[in-house]
Amino acid sequence: MNIAVLVKLSVDTSYMRLDQNNRVLFSEIPLKVSDIDRNAVEEALRIKQQGLANKISSFSVLTWGSSDKRVSEAQNLLREILAMGVDESYLYVDPGFVYSHLYTAKILARMIRKAGDYSLILAGEASIDGYSSQVPCRVAEELGIPCVSYARRIEVKEGKVIVERDLEDSVEVVGVKLPAVVSVTREINTPRLPTLLQIRAAMRKPVNIIKASDIGLEPMKKIHEFVAEGVKIQRKGVIIEGKTVDEKIEKLLEALAKEGITLYRG
Amino acid sequence: MKILLAGRISEVAELTGFIAPISSTADIHALIFGKPGEDEIRSLSVSKAIVAENADPSYADDVVEALKAVLGKEVYDYIVLVATRINKEAGARVAQTIGAPAITEAIGVRLEDGSPVFIRSVMAGKAISKETLSSPAVIMVAPGRNKPVDTGKRVGEIQRISISGKRSVEIIERKGKERKGVRVEDAEIIVSVGRGFKSKEDLSMAFKLAELIGAQVGCSRPIAADLKWLSEEHWIGLSGKKVRPKLYIAIGISGQPQHLAGIMDSKIIVAINKDPGAPIFKYSDYGVVEDLYVFIPKLMEKLSTRQK
Ligand SMILES: Cc1cc2nc3c(=O)[nH]c(=O)nc-3n(C[C@H](O)[C@H](O)[C@H](O)COP(=O)(O)OP(=O)(O)OC[C@H]3O[C@@H](n4cnc5c(N)ncnc54)[C@H](O)[C@@H]3O)c2cc1C
Ligand SMILES: Nc1ncnc2c1ncn2[C@@H]1O[C@H](COP(=O)(O)O)[C@@H](O)[C@H]1O
Repeated sequence: MNIAVLVKLSVDTSYMRLDQNNRVLFSEIPLKVSDIDRNAVEEALRIKQQGLANKISSFSVLTWGSSDKRVSEAQNLLREILAMGVDESYLYVDPGFVYSHLYTAKILARMIRKAGDYSLILAGEASIDGYSSQVPCRVAEELGIPCVSYARRIEVKEGKVIVERDLEDSVEVVGVKLPAVVSVTREINTPRLPTLLQIRAAMRKPVNIIKASDIGLEPMKKIHEFVAEGVKIQRKGVIIEGKTVDEKIEKLLEALAKEGITLYRG
Repeated sequence: MKILLAGRISEVAELTGFIAPISSTADIHALIFGKPGEDEIRSLSVSKAIVAENADPSYADDVVEALKAVLGKEVYDYIVLVATRINKEAGARVAQTIGAPAITEAIGVRLEDGSPVFIRSVMAGKAISKETLSSPAVIMVAPGRNKPVDTGKRVGEIQRISISGKRSVEIIERKGKERKGVRVEDAEIIVSVGRGFKSKEDLSMAFKLAELIGAQVGCSRPIAADLKWLSEEHWIGLSGKKVRPKLYIAIGISGQPQHLAGIMDSKIIVAINKDPGAPIFKYSDYGVVEDLYVFIPKLMEKLSTRQK
């Protein structure tokens, strides 16, 4: 059995950049491997360590720009997950890419189909920049296979995968036949940190660049447009100074009283 | 414009509140799962109700099958669901099948030049995104933010459909989560605890303080998810509850963007942290640099003497 892992190269939300009009400059924000996708990679590695998988491949669609700089940034990030133990990476690069979950999922499905035979496709529950939880089940639908999300435990057994999934009001143990797509939560495991030796070894592993012509995709239409604006912090940012705790508490209560908030019930 | 609201009857009612700003010229239909009574159906402010009695909305497969059946017969511009975890699966699958865009956790909508613009939060809460989608589109609405609204529509027709109920996912076991009826979403004051607390037992200080000032207790993700010191009902942030209290008191919380994402709508934020460099201070109205183990007992002492 082979495992495919969907790895998004998200923009790093801790380095937000804005233009003069307060609009988010996505193309100038550095990329990072979306946090929860590292958990998906870790889970794939654990399944392989149990002797249940032969090969692990990662699949990424470059969404935030396709300049040479972006491509090499992406390749470097993919080396991090290759160093964790992934065998090979596929990276889709296309100047004609039009932002949309629909196309992202179509491309991922085609790349996976073309790359080989994968029984289990792992993904993150949501990507850190968009947080939309759409792509995994869209890929499943495109491939015509089942989808189970929010997994916090996975067991592969006799052509099936048993998943403990985390819903709002319940925890469900569900079973689906393979092939299937499973998205994982942050709680499922703790992703390993590769050693220096592994990072060096990863330089020899392949990052395969895939282009539109390789998978025969029709031109994309603009179906989803958005403008993101930075949320302005409108907080007072007052630090209450004082020599003693008592003094600080008095001043805090005074400040709150001026805001119309009394903490003691009179 | 034609809109389809889909879900349990209570969810459909909630969704009428979300679409109110765009409903005046729209034709609004409902797809209802389960077996509500006729009166209940007629109380919905929609012009047509389609009832899928044998569809169980706790299975994404059922939601998908019922939606596909309806969408196979009639074209809608917007298909609207509450963004529960099961519905997020179903919505994504339906959108892919019909070749449509979708958005998750929409927090608002308004008409701009006659077309709906949907609002959601992105970049871990650091930015607000205004999104326009070509129709048809699937809209998944952030849960719990909307109340039923009378859109002026009355149910004219009730249609019943049934589905095959074929499922790809087999539920082996379902365990209910521990619920204590805590609703931080509705709280006026929240005392929120983070990793600054050294042990589970120490949280009793926060509960005592909360009781004294009539607050609910909230927490950062590690307290609920990793340490499991509190149930998930208390968890606030990007992946937890979004709150909007008059006063939010963050104690021993560093102020990472994923936590801040849940507290943006608070009126006043107070932070207690012993590290003067903690990011939370930049996102607070009032900050006190102090050890919580010194601060909380002193504060309680002061408050109880004042109360007398
Ligand atoms: C995809 C994703 C989703 C996430 N979703 C959420 C979410 O929904 N909610 C959430 O909260 N987090 C979320 N996180 C995690 C988030 O990034 C932070 O790790 C988390 O918020 C940190 O929690 P904390 O502030 O309690 O702990 P820490 O960051 O460890 O901060 C503890 C603070 O306590 C202070 N402190 C220590 N001792 C004392 C003392 N004696 N007195 C006073 N202060 C003291 C320290 O100075 C420090 O600032 C998410 C992360 C990811 C990647
Ligand atoms: N561009 C992408 N390339 C590869 N995987 C992706 C991409 N976008 C989303 N995914 C996968 O889908 C998951 C959920 O993403 P999202 O639907 O954007 O919240 C991510 O955690 C990834 O596993």
